[in-house]
Amino acid sequence: MTVTAPVVTGLDPGVLVGDWRNTNAEGSIARIVCTLRDGGSVDVRAYGRYAGTPADWGSVPASIYAFTFEERAAGAFSARFELGEARVDLQANVKLGVLVVVELITFLDGSGRSNFFDREFFHQVKR
Amino acid sequence: MTASTARLAERWDRPDLNPPRPRIAVETLAGSWKKTNDKQQWIDSLIVDTEGDSLYVTIFGSAPPSPPSWGRKRAEVLYSGGIGTGDTRAGAFTAHYRFDDFDVEVQANLNLGLLVVATFVTCRHSGPLSDRFTREFFYRAVDGDRS
Repeated sequence: MTVTAPVVTGLDPGVLVGDWRNTNAEGSIARIVCTLRDGGSVDVRAYGRYAGTPADWGSVPASIYAFTFEERAAGAFSARFELGEARVDLQANVKLGVLVVVELITFLDGSGRSNFFDREFFHQVKR
Repeated sequence: MTASTARLAERWDRPDLNPPRPRIAVETLAGSWKKTNDKQQWIDSLIVDTEGDSLYVTIFGSAPPSPPSWGRKRAEVLYSGGIGTGDTRAGAFTAHYRFDDFDVEVQANLNLGLLVVATFVTCRHSGPLSDRFTREFFYRAVDGDRS
């Protein structure tokens, strides 16, 4: 896994921070955990489930985005996981309390697998 | 392996899928796409065209600060709708634009005949504008559509 430089931003990432679980028990990603990083940005940890058992993909710094140029509240993020055989780009936004996650899977191993697109939904686990 | 885990394994673990990969059917995404929203938004319309196995997108802005014409860019990565297919009826592509004031990552995917376009706008200079995410919807214009 490659960890890129943290992204420093003046946005408030509060709505993104939390423990998000896939609404589909058979989804490709079981869980996404967003934590606050020093400087006000967000680290994203994902637990992939492509082989049936959740696997920790590790934590990467995310870029966060507001919904308008004028807002200071972040509502979306993008994050990249380098997993060796594949690169997974997550593009997520919060809508009506649901984390809508686009997954762009790019295979890097020369196999016959097609790069593919998927979209999944996550709800937040309240502590 | 249970039926459930079999379905999960089909997502990625497919040793039966030998090279070469299926050709990505870029033509499915091609066309002239217009915004579904009557009001101004970030992107007004897009033209998607193909040359061989490559896909190009031309974007027209809807209202400032979105540039009126973003220009034509080659898609950097094409995605099918599934690991074992080149079918793009549920596929996607990504492209990047670089302007004086911001960089834009474009991700577009087909969903039930709509082109769903997300952009991640990163301001290149510190200032009053926040980095911004958009998701907008576009329908395929047919010949004679003057709306």
